[in-house]
Amino acid sequence: MHKLSTKKAFIAYALFGWALVLVADRVSELRVYQGATIAILTLAIASIILLTGYSGQVSLGHGAFLAIGAYGAAIAQSYWGSPFWFTFLIAILVSAAFGFILGFAAGRLSGPYIAGTTLALAVGLPTLANQFAFLGGETGLVYDAGSPPARFGEEFTLYKWFFWIAALVVLISIFLLRNLLNSRFGRNWKALRANPTAAALAGVNVASSKILAFTISAGVAGLAGALLGMISIVAPSAFPLSLSFTIITGAVLAGVTSLLGSMLGAVVLVVVPEIADAIAHRLGDSEKISTNLPGFIVSALLILTVLFSPNGPAEAMRKRREAHAKH
Amino acid sequence: MISLGRKKSVLAAVAVTSFALVASAVPANAVDGVSATEIKLGITVPQTGPAATGYNKVAPAMKAYFDYINASGGVYGRKITLVIKDDGYKTQSAIDATNDLLLQDKVFALVGQLGTANHIAVASKVQLAKRGVPSLFLNTGFSEFADKSKYPTSFMHFPSYATEAKVLSTYIKDNFAGKKACLLAQADDFGDDAARGFATAGITFGETVRYVSGSQSSAAAAGWVQKFAGAKCEVVVTFSVTTATTVLLGAAAALKFAPQWILGSVGADPTTIRIASGNPQAAALLNNAISASWLPDAADTSDRFVKFFREVNAKYNNNVDFDANVMVGMNAGMLTVQALRAAGSNPTRQSLINAIETKGRTFVSAAFAPYGVSDSTHAGYTGFWIGKFNASGALSPVDTGRTIYVTDSAAGPVNKVAPKRAKLPAKGIPTNS
Amino acid sequence: MRELIGTLLIGITLGSIYSLMALALVLVWRSTRVINFAQAGQAILTTYIAYEIINRTGVFWLAILFAVVAGALLGAGIEYFLMRTLFRHADEGPVAAIAPVIATLGLLGIIRSVVGMIWGNEFRSIAPPVSTTGFVFNGQPLPFSMLNLVVIIGAAIVMIIFSFIFQKTDLGLSLRASAFQPEIARLAGIRVGPIRTIGWVFAGAAGAFAGVLVTPNDILSPNSLDVLLVFGFVAAVIGGLESLPGAVVGGLALGIGVALITNYISTVLVFPSVFIVLILSLILRPNGLIGSKRVRIA
Repeated sequence: MHKLSTKKAFIAYALFGWALVLVADRVSELRVYQGATIAILTLAIASIILLTGYSGQVSLGHGAFLAIGAYGAAIAQSYWGSPFWFTFLIAILVSAAFGFILGFAAGRLSGPYIAGTTLALAVGLPTLANQFAFLGGETGLVYDAGSPPARFGEEFTLYKWFFWIAALVVLISIFLLRNLLNSRFGRNWKALRANPTAAALAGVNVASSKILAFTISAGVAGLAGALLGMISIVAPSAFPLSLSFTIITGAVLAGVTSLLGSMLGAVVLVVVPEIADAIAHRLGDSEKISTNLPGFIVSALLILTVLFSPNGPAEAMRKRREAHAKH
Repeated sequence: MISLGRKKSVLAAVAVTSFALVASAVPANAVDGVSATEIKLGITVPQTGPAATGYNKVAPAMKAYFDYINASGGVYGRKITLVIKDDGYKTQSAIDATNDLLLQDKVFALVGQLGTANHIAVASKVQLAKRGVPSLFLNTGFSEFADKSKYPTSFMHFPSYATEAKVLSTYIKDNFAGKKACLLAQADDFGDDAARGFATAGITFGETVRYVSGSQSSAAAAGWVQKFAGAKCEVVVTFSVTTATTVLLGAAAALKFAPQWILGSVGADPTTIRIASGNPQAAALLNNAISASWLPDAADTSDRFVKFFREVNAKYNNNVDFDANVMVGMNAGMLTVQALRAAGSNPTRQSLINAIETKGRTFVSAAFAPYGVSDSTHAGYTGFWIGKFNASGALSPVDTGRTIYVTDSAAGPVNKVAPKRAKLPAKGIPTNS
Repeated sequence: MRELIGTLLIGITLGSIYSLMALALVLVWRSTRVINFAQAGQAILTTYIAYEIINRTGVFWLAILFAVVAGALLGAGIEYFLMRTLFRHADEGPVAAIAPVIATLGLLGIIRSVVGMIWGNEFRSIAPPVSTTGFVFNGQPLPFSMLNLVVIIGAAIVMIIFSFIFQKTDLGLSLRASAFQPEIARLAGIRVGPIRTIGWVFAGAAGAFAGVLVTPNDILSPNSLDVLLVFGFVAAVIGGLESLPGAVVGGLALGIGVALITNYISTVLVFPSVFIVLILSLILRPNGLIGSKRVRIA
């Protein structure tokens, strides 16, 4: 498997972005909004791929970082009058700061303990909004992307604006992440994930490498959170525990070591519930069955994927190709 | 060999594009959701998830009423179809579900959307106002939704929480002056709105307990009761959901704490409390509790509206347990049908909005107080009657005249009036125009 | 003073409930190194089964028995059909750490939807088998009743039985060995597969016992054990995840911590207090509340 040079990759990403713009013009508004959701989930999944796939650390509550990023951005906009694009930077920085703290703690705790801590954080953090009035309570904070610029015309809907912003931010971020993962840092992470002792002997500073991974992962997640707040709402109900599980699920579906698989994972996360819903409506006569069937289908699919291609469908394809090549 | 990564991204791009293109072919329509034979409406409610219990009865009840109306010809010959979408009480799901309803199912209007935070998010991100999509008879009592300037296309249904708080305040001042009053309220806008109403009415509480939605349990309730008992509360007011009210009453019984209970209507449905507490004496826990209600009691079969709704429930709703949730759903259904009729034989979204603003006050409903809508406000019903529970969980008015306490969500006075309801039309089928 | 005692009693009540869930989680962890998020799902299913038994016979203790047996069978089934397949396919790479989490989460979702499909989302309840009125002390009832006492005793029983099994029996040794070093255990002649199944059987039974004990007096619905799952997991982490007494102590510590914070600071801080108690315990006793081994250090 050969990797593209950075320049070629840049061109590929730019072309892909251009293709997205064209597609967005031709599809219905519903798909455009879903496209924005997919972009955001892609970014969130990518943060898990960095943390777990590359540096081998587990976070069960990454939704907390999304929440932190969203609230940071919203506070910057609402209380400090910060311009919109700048709030993304705030989101990244605030989240990264928390990620640093957690990464530091993770250095002192083994697997299940950091998992438990991140889980408790994801559960405990959003409801703080009910305690401190400036966090907006249950109604949440206003976080506005503004209207699309007038020069785009009347037909340019708000959802398209969301999609353009999200797609642009995510494309840039994934590009930068890709470069990061292909760099010395990425190699260090892969090394310490495979064998920390050997990595340390080879000169990798395991502790600070892991903390760096957590910090960056949190920052990326925070950015995804700000984007989520943009298309949704910055309130506790937008960051339930299930969000954290959804993101990890997407990472497993993507193939937890594959950055490019993150988009596939995101697409599956958005598409499958819709298909499940359609199936349920066709079959569902009984109220009890039709309301619970979508959840059943999604969960069943998840288990099947984890059982039969846990490293992602790409990994399964590769293994099969390697098996073929041997004959 | 193309690198695996590239193959994957191409695969993903193809998937996204084809999915989008396939799904985008939609025929244009003069008025979304209205055809010669059908009017399509949409609702988002929690059918699954922690908030589902109880609330998941509202949408099927509404649909049952529509089915009944359809059986006698519908509205001007059009059958009403209600598309029910589950949002699990999560905001993102509410937005996605509303997008589906508007952009894919192409519904004419939204009805009965449930949840304060959900509606705020939907109104703002789905841009209901800009799209001119009516959102009728919301299933939330957050008073800000009555503000026409902020939510021009949304209409409330039940009285706001602030209204209820003011009504209860008057009753407390009239009957329990000098006694120490305490409050249990959910820690979100539901509770905040009520707290605002109490503050406006000048009631100060000796002890206030705010609980976070989802944290209620019998052990947690023991903590609440401990605080109330420790503060020697003589009157305890609740603005809590049914599960919280249930565990509160159970814990109070266990600790032999027996103040005068005043239960906010949202969490005082006796059927749900009876089932939820598992305690055959649960109804007894309600004995002598005061509650405000804007509809007749679900067990009051002498009330012609209740009798009618129960019949519809038996025939079109699988005869589920008839409780306040079912009644709210059917009442909203009846209002919707009248709104659709008033919008004319060729309804548009704007004509529907105008119809409710100008004629909403005349709509027939099981509610005892006037409907608050006008062309300057989209408030819901404006008043309550005060009732007392007996040992079997039936709520009866405290006075023979069923005095209705009427007020607004702001600083207006609380007026006591006689109950006035328009007659139920023949067979419960509206004939207004 | 009375308020403090009351709060501590409430904390112990809460804590004993968390302990029961934590015990089930630790049982699975100690015998298979998997964090079983489906525990709440298994427990809710068996609790609904108990609900049906009670409805038909009115005998609570019979219902618990049925639930425990069902829980054991369910646990065995899950291990045999799901977890074994999982370990065959996902035993390498970073996904090995989170694949079981995802799989059990998926299982939780499936069980929850099945429960919803069979019984619907309505509230139900199980009548308490013993009194829920508080014991009277100095003329006034305490926030502690016979039912609360039964829950504590139940947690203690589970802890004692399984601690005995793990520490004092060959079976327990096999369980621990299979979890830590399955290859070496195999070489030593231990049949790791069936041993693992037994671990899940124990956890399933314990979880079923927990579910039925904590439900009377509270609400039964497909989601009613969700919050308990998170609290139970954190309690297990506080206790060190390595010992059953640890799970109990962790549960009690969490319960008391939550009760104290919600009573004296703010009732709105229920969920953040979980995080606070966890952080405090990790800072103060990074070796776990019980263990002296440095098991938590990475």
